[in-house]
Amino acid sequence: MTGWEVFLQQLIIGLSNGMIIALIALGYTMVYGIIELINFAHGDLFMLGCFAALTVVSLTGDLPVWLVLLLLLVLTPVFCGGLNWLVDRLAYRHLRDATKLAPLVSAIGVSFVFLNLGLFWGGLPLKVFGFGKAAAAPKDFPTLVSNANLLGNSNVEFTTKDLLVLVITVPLMVGLTLFVKQTRAGKAMRAVAQDRLAAQLMGIDANRVIGQTFLLGGGLAGVASVVAALYNNTIYFQMGYRAGMDAFTAAVLGGIGSLPGAVLGGLCIGLARALSDQYIATRWTNVMVFAILILVLVFRPSGLLGAKHREKV
Amino acid sequence: MSLLQVDKLTMRFGGLVAVDAVTLEIPPGEIVSLIGPNGAGKTTVFNAITGIYEPSAGGVRFAGHETRSEFCGSVAVLLLLTGFLTAGALILLCNIESLWEVVITGNYQYRQVFQWKPANIAFTTYFSENSGTRLILPAVLGLFLGLAGAWAVWQRSRRAPEVAAHAGIARTFQNIRLFNQMTVLDNVLLGMDTRLQTRFWHAALRLPLFWRERREATSKAIEILRFVDLDREVNQLAENLSYGHQRRLEIARALAMQPKLILLDEPAAGLNPAESQALMELIRQIRERGITVLLIEHDMQVVMGISDRIAVLDYGEKIAEGTPAEVRANPAVIEAYLGKSDAST
Amino acid sequence: MKLRFHWAFLLVAALVPVVGLFVPAARSLGELLRPIFIMAILALGLNILTGFTGILNLGVAAFMALGAYAYAILTCDIYPFQFGFWPAVMLTVLVGLLAGLMLGLPTIRLRGDYLAIVTLGFGEIVQDSLKNMDVITKGTQGINPLPGPTFAGYMFRSETYAPWYYLFLGFLALVVLLNRNLQRSRVGRAWIAIREDELAASCMGVNPMKMKLLAFSLGAAQCSLAGALWASFLGSSGEPGNYDFQVSIIALCIVIVGGMGNIAGVLLGALVVVGCNSLVLETFTNFLKAHELISSTNVYTAPGNWKYMLFGLALILMMRFKPEGLLPSRQVKAELHPHEPPPS
Repeated sequence: MTGWEVFLQQLIIGLSNGMIIALIALGYTMVYGIIELINFAHGDLFMLGCFAALTVVSLTGDLPVWLVLLLLLVLTPVFCGGLNWLVDRLAYRHLRDATKLAPLVSAIGVSFVFLNLGLFWGGLPLKVFGFGKAAAAPKDFPTLVSNANLLGNSNVEFTTKDLLVLVITVPLMVGLTLFVKQTRAGKAMRAVAQDRLAAQLMGIDANRVIGQTFLLGGGLAGVASVVAALYNNTIYFQMGYRAGMDAFTAAVLGGIGSLPGAVLGGLCIGLARALSDQYIATRWTNVMVFAILILVLVFRPSGLLGAKHREKV
Repeated sequence: MSLLQVDKLTMRFGGLVAVDAVTLEIPPGEIVSLIGPNGAGKTTVFNAITGIYEPSAGGVRFAGHETRSEFCGSVAVLLLLTGFLTAGALILLCNIESLWEVVITGNYQYRQVFQWKPANIAFTTYFSENSGTRLILPAVLGLFLGLAGAWAVWQRSRRAPEVAAHAGIARTFQNIRLFNQMTVLDNVLLGMDTRLQTRFWHAALRLPLFWRERREATSKAIEILRFVDLDREVNQLAENLSYGHQRRLEIARALAMQPKLILLDEPAAGLNPAESQALMELIRQIRERGITVLLIEHDMQVVMGISDRIAVLDYGEKIAEGTPAEVRANPAVIEAYLGKSDAST
Repeated sequence: MKLRFHWAFLLVAALVPVVGLFVPAARSLGELLRPIFIMAILALGLNILTGFTGILNLGVAAFMALGAYAYAILTCDIYPFQFGFWPAVMLTVLVGLLAGLMLGLPTIRLRGDYLAIVTLGFGEIVQDSLKNMDVITKGTQGINPLPGPTFAGYMFRSETYAPWYYLFLGFLALVVLLNRNLQRSRVGRAWIAIREDELAASCMGVNPMKMKLLAFSLGAAQCSLAGALWASFLGSSGEPGNYDFQVSIIALCIVIVGGMGNIAGVLLGALVVVGCNSLVLETFTNFLKAHELISSTNVYTAPGNWKYMLFGLALILMMRFKPEGLLPSRQVKAELHPHEPPPS
């Protein structure tokens, strides 16, 4: 491979991973935008989504691949979205008027509970989980989408998996933007995000809208977990921390609360990781990512696309 | 010479021009009022004077100086120092493992005497071997990032409320912003704190200076509270005070800063006529203490009663200025407040 | 005069080993208390930031790690420095101070949540760097063995326990004293004012950046002190993985469960959180093992596997029903219950 081919290959890998990170980051940024909560449990929700996806696969093993994929893309987001909504309903909703720290700590608690659920889930006596012998061990996710290179015999690989990532994520992001910009529910979300009290006075049920945001954000995490599981073919119960960290960094890098910012941030992080893996050293990649984050924040304190904060006096 | 000069101050928020080329001159020892209908940009002028907003155009000079930190020699030294330190740190970080091996491990075996001499030779050979990526690249990158970063941070921090406060401008807020969970005394002490010499090590180790200043500050704070007639509430939490008392506590907190100029943002809002009268008396006494007063107020009785001069804002522009009698007779002012009527022409 | 809770706590703690001479149970309690003292110092460092100043720091473990490694490098005899315990601890505190300052200088102007992610990232950076620079830090092995502390010619040995106990208790008392002095001075007043209303505070002449930076460095210094003590206690720097996000979260939980902004609350929080997190669960596991109630293959029966679940649920329930913590400071309590009249 020539230098340029290596570079191009890393760009493709970075792009695919970046899109997955962006999907998770969207969930962070939406929730933050509406109730200013860093939803620490989001990464672990993503992890639970991966386990749900693997369970779905194991239960539908005999069906044709396209049907399994369809089921995955419907059931996992529904599961994740529903779980996220439920957590909001049970934990965060009671803390709307408390200080900012209370829901945050609550979210950390939820993330611990999710982590533990993931461990137990891996211990289920199913074949895909190794009959529950080693709950904490990484699990193989079956190769439903082939690894074939779409560019023929070229040295640069653009596989079916990469295509799958793009085919699923790009329309989803476009759809999300249209949803938030055009629909009634989307407008209600933006209204609540700007001024909850005023939105309530205009007759919007803020709790309902916030619940919808959690549902939507969780759903996106569910899609991300399906895509990530298909792309990486391995899942483990501690994967949520790393994924959540990357996505959170992406959301902040792009400007937390901004949807295009989350996507841009996700792509930046994905590319930075891939390039750092190739040209610096894999073991320094995490350090590089955060160094970039700190550097960007020094020059742009509200992130790349974040709105400048001005306090009312 | 005037104490405060606001020179063609303009504030734009997006497309909205909130304040449009307003010029104000406030001589020392006067009480000047800024009036105008709601949304005329009065509070925005206050925010620009106190450094909360950066003016889009024009400037504010207080006692002959800009109320922002100026670029001077020591700032330049600081910026350069940051640049060099970053460069040094980056060089160190890029080579830390090799340097450690050359300097420390290479010279030292378990429980042996440490020799520095050979290290120095190895040090120079190490850098001469691959100086491009080991030395020059991190040095240039670090210098650039350090300088640019420090410059960006300094730019953002040069116009800040605390700079104006240190220059001697104190203010109160339209919607009261006391430290609600602190006691009345602590609120006043906080206003005084910046004039104290106590540093954190004095406080941590309770050195004599801490005790002396604490005694002095407390007695001064109680004197100020007596001045605004709040000395019976010293240990109350600020949020438990009545509305009128909270207004006066805000003034006390501002006075504790020992300012040259005090900006009062609607101090009479929500007060009953008796309280307003007491407030007017208080403002006069503040002036007698040698403090210049700039006042935003809607209560015309208060404004006309105590102001030496009045400036009128409407839609961000200054439409009139003069003594109370002049302003009262000014047709533009009447129009701004009552609207244009055919009968008056 | 009313005896403050934190002094009462330290006084009672000082008596435990004396009682331990006669009652064996008190002795084992004393042995368990030593790590709690260290965690309390760590949490007090975080309390300056989160409790007093209102800055969320999710990376205190990084400062603890820096402290532990700095102490280990300064004392271990595989390096040429070989300082004694006391100078090494002082230098370590200085290292923490500088590290806090260096991280704080470019980032302290960021708004709350942006600063939170920066501190979180710093935690990762430190952990990964310690892992990667194995020439200096011995990678995942950690630096060991470290010589024990000495005090006036007396050498601390790992099998004795009372000297260690009083050493850590002494440091804790010192930290409590310094923090209390700071809290009741213009510094603490400025910190609390910034927490309540940063803009108003800056209009009163408080320089929020300076005060936050001070809080940041002092907090970091205390955290690295905790790290140095921890390393001396273990006789090893420990591996980088020992100072991960969980440690930061445990410190945060101590501050929140105990009562934000209240020194006594933090002491109580350390007792409760660390106590529950390690001691109770461990005792329970040992009990079950002794009675052969645990199968090694089944993931669900080992109490250790329920740790996160219990910890998480405790946090959620705590926030739901007692968000101000067990022993709140008057101010924080009033912030969380705005409609109740304060006790006079």
